Amino acid sequence: MSYMEALRLAMRRLRTNALRTGLTALGVIIGVAALVSLIGVGQGTQAALTNRIASLGTNLLSVNAGASFSGGIRGAAGSATTLTEDDAAALTTLPGIAAVAPEMPVSNVVVVAGRNNTTTSMTGTGPAEALVRSYTVQTGTFLSDVEVSKSLRVAVLGPTTVANLNMTPAQIVGTTVDINGIPFQVIGVTQPKGGSGFSNPDDMIFTPITTVQAQFTGGTTLRTIGVSVKDANAIAYASSAVTTTLRSRHGLASSASDDFTLVSQNQLLTVASDQSATLRNFLIGIAAIALVVGGIGIANTMLVSVRERVREIGTRKAIGARRRDIGRQFLVEAVIVSLGGAVIGVIVGVLVTGPVGAAVNVPAKASLPGIALAFCSSLVVGIVAGFLPARQAAGLDPVEALRYE
Amino acid sequence: MTGPEQPLLVGEGLQRVYRMGDSEVRALRGVDFSISLGESVAIMGPSGSGKSTLLHLLGLLDRPTAGRYLFAGVDTALLDDDHSAALRNRAIGFVFQNFNLVSGETALDNVAAPLVYAGVKRKERNERAREALDRVGLSDRLHHDPSQLSGGQRQRVAIARALVTRPPLLLADEPTGNLDSTSSADIFSLLAQLHSEGLTLVTITHDPRIAARAERVLQVEDGQIVSDTSSESYLRAGVPA
Repeated sequence: MSYMEALRLAMRRLRTNALRTGLTALGVIIGVAALVSLIGVGQGTQAALTNRIASLGTNLLSVNAGASFSGGIRGAAGSATTLTEDDAAALTTLPGIAAVAPEMPVSNVVVVAGRNNTTTSMTGTGPAEALVRSYTVQTGTFLSDVEVSKSLRVAVLGPTTVANLNMTPAQIVGTTVDINGIPFQVIGVTQPKGGSGFSNPDDMIFTPITTVQAQFTGGTTLRTIGVSVKDANAIAYASSAVTTTLRSRHGLASSASDDFTLVSQNQLLTVASDQSATLRNFLIGIAAIALVVGGIGIANTMLVSVRERVREIGTRKAIGARRRDIGRQFLVEAVIVSLGGAVIGVIVGVLVTGPVGAAVNVPAKASLPGIALAFCSSLVVGIVAGFLPARQAAGLDPVEALRYE
Repeated sequence: MTGPEQPLLVGEGLQRVYRMGDSEVRALRGVDFSISLGESVAIMGPSGSGKSTLLHLLGLLDRPTAGRYLFAGVDTALLDDDHSAALRNRAIGFVFQNFNLVSGETALDNVAAPLVYAGVKRKERNERAREALDRVGLSDRLHHDPSQLSGGQRQRVAIARALVTRPPLLLADEPTGNLDSTSSADIFSLLAQLHSEGLTLVTITHDPRIAARAERVLQVEDGQIVSDTSSESYLRAGVPA
């Protein structure tokens, strides 16, 4: 009997037991739908995380001031005053560097605009910040060299900050707001980057580094220096150049450890994608369990079906069916149930991926590799689940099978 | 194939022993017979005498524990399972007491089933199944499920299925055992007609009316053939009806 004939026979058989077929397939439907949607959510999470990190800057190297030690007690990172504006200026001259932005943050500043106020964080920086941290301005302008050199009290606001002040970008640009009681003129509003929660890149104020040092922090030290490397392939080279330059400027002996830390965006990306891959594999594992349970359901139903059809099997052997004809008939039935379940499961999975992603705040979309994986594994499940019942049916002794009541 | 003078089925000292745990059941204790092409033979005997076992051996559904069974001159001990299946498919038609039709499949599909295993294409299969159903007078029941047919009609579907591969031999195991007398008479005449057209017929039966229509009667008792006579002398001897 050809596979085509076995297929035809199995279709007839499954139709006459439509309810049972449907319930048996339900296990696979759920398993495949879970697999498709969870892979979609996993990949969505990964993509979102990668985008978030990529939006932090272009080929970014971030130099953070080291921790201070006082009496053997390690202070918070960045509490040391090892990075200066001169360091930042020195890095600008290195080859392959596109831009260098000195940064000095001030957290929890209160902004007042008219009757509205909000609390946000402020970063003192320069014009290079826009390139280094991938900001663009939607209204007005970003900081300029003149404003930095003259320590002007000007500010560029993030869109979320503007919204928190109950204003539109067009309304706020050109007005004066109070930051911790000091008046600043708003010269621009940045484009939204997306993202939320802790350290939202859209809930920010940028002011000239010199103004922050003069009005808020005092001194000329920096918390971080953002470095944008021209070529993504040159990041490793740039990292070592930055390290060497800073070590020699800080007069560190070769045995001494760095008094700063260098974090590249690639490191963050690697860590993030490792983490999200772990998450994704975990989700796939859960879905695979559902699919295996579905397969056990098929095997179970097929075994019952073999029991019920012993006489039929005996009759088929009497009229000329070989062992492999009988085996094929049952195997094909199991595979059809699982593949049929897979088709419906893929459709359900594609439909629910979006809503499931939305429920966990991830832009999830069913992907082709996910669908292919779900399909192939359900085929394997069908073959494995059908194997035992098929072998049992094929091995029945025709005389006993014909006598079976 | 065999000529008319060459026997179709030959048994030489056939034995069949079943093991049931420690004990042995000797269902056949050395049976010899020779059945020629075109003959009509009735096998009679009380239940448990071994006649069903004999029919299973004749139909290649089972293998003898000892002795030789030649099918069309071929020693069946030399056939593997697949060859036996092919021979059952092409050379033997089975008719059972309880019909053994597959429910959920139409009469046409049931009749065409042996042709599926013979590798016949679908179109030809349906044509031949239609012909076979026509031959048993059921051309108006092609698409009925067996459950929609009467007992006599079901048995006729089963006979059509047995005939569809045009085998030389038909083995029937109590073909009228589950039928009322009208349907039984129906099936008798159908089988008789098929025999008159050249089919070799071996029938297990309790029914002396079937035996009366056969040319030969083999009486089986206690695992042995105790008489092998023409049906006239068998009936004249007045063996229990």
